[in-house]
Amino acid sequence: MRRRPGIAGLQNAAATRDQFRLVGENVAKVRTDVMKEQLATFRTQLEEFARKHKNDIRKNPLFRQQFHEMCAKVGVDPLASNKGAWAELLGIGDFYYELGVQIVDICIATRSTNGGLIDLLDLRKLLCQKRKADLGSLTADDCLRAISKLKVLGSGFEVISVGKKKLVRSVPTELNKDHNGILELAQAEGFVTVEQVERKFSWSTGRAIDVLETLLKEGLAMIDDGHRDGKRRYWFPCVTLSSDSTGAEAKS
Amino acid sequence: MQRLGDFRLPPFFNYPPYFTLQPVRETREKQVQLWKDLILDYCRSQKIYIISLEEDFPLFSNPKIERSLSHEAKEVFLAALVNEGRAEWMDKGHKKCLILWLRIQDWANYILNFVKDNGLEDNVMTVEEIRSGIETRGTELAGIDRGVLMRALKLLEQKGKAAIFKGTSADDEGVKFSA
Repeated sequence: MRRRPGIAGLQNAAATRDQFRLVGENVAKVRTDVMKEQLATFRTQLEEFARKHKNDIRKNPLFRQQFHEMCAKVGVDPLASNKGAWAELLGIGDFYYELGVQIVDICIATRSTNGGLIDLLDLRKLLCQKRKADLGSLTADDCLRAISKLKVLGSGFEVISVGKKKLVRSVPTELNKDHNGILELAQAEGFVTVEQVERKFSWSTGRAIDVLETLLKEGLAMIDDGHRDGKRRYWFPCVTLSSDSTGAEAKS
Repeated sequence: MQRLGDFRLPPFFNYPPYFTLQPVRETREKQVQLWKDLILDYCRSQKIYIISLEEDFPLFSNPKIERSLSHEAKEVFLAALVNEGRAEWMDKGHKKCLILWLRIQDWANYILNFVKDNGLEDNVMTVEEIRSGIETRGTELAGIDRGVLMRALKLLEQKGKAAIFKGTSADDEGVKFSA
């Protein structure tokens, strides 16, 4: 059909354009609506999930870990911020922030006994005393997560591995390889002597004494001259003191 | 938990380095604090008033871990108590130490409360009665050191809360409390 020139032709063309636009808008609207609906469904589902499982998240360590795995799979970090749907709905943020505050408390309270280095297991025991919960309700994983959140404070909270143990460091002391070696050696009996250190690492007496004196100055070691063999022992409260002793002191 | 008689010993008592004076300031402060508390708690629970540095004192050695305090360490811990007014050296040579788990002022208040609770205002009691009489049995006053008691009573006298009567011998000194 030959297109006729004239007003009517132009009006026709404009009407067609309008039609197309309308349809386009409609499609876009439908899409947004669907998206909105999906989001709403997701939110209600999440709310329902939260309502159902909030207690589980707070109380059940296994569930907590599985929840974290699920979050990691979908690429969400529920601890990234305390605002936003996840944290608000689930209150999972609160759980770790509360834990973080308690960890700081304990680290500071026990600092004068252990020099700012505490065994993760001791820390967990003290946390459970504080929370009046049993040890099973709080996993090492929970503590590690809470501690990793403390890093943003820049106060030097860090977890270091020494031998089989994990130690939580709350003072800005950098421990080098020598120090770590000695801490690892001390795990056997709770103390080391200069001789033991020399023998184990084939160090000169000077080097051994030097490293031990540094640990002493940092408050990580305590000397003991009372043994009947007369040899000075260097004790390390962070690897020997069981939690009930530090616990009693933390309270006072 | 290790015990000494009926006294529960704190866990640090089994940690050998606490028996050696610590050279680092912060660690030493913590150590002194723990020992100060332990000495006061122990003396209070066992009603011990005088510690003699020359004689064996059960608190100053732990046979279980084969450690005991050096003379210097004992003197440091007791001197810390003296500095706080919780103990007094009884001689210049620092051989005997009077432990005040209650300060004289606190003893005076304790006596005053005891008098009020038992309606002994305007009554006369002998010093010996306070130390070993029936009325004070089961209270902190039972077996109180004579010197400490006399100082507390004199403090009350200064405040006009008591009057001390001298008897013919030291044994029959009496005290009259007033409300």
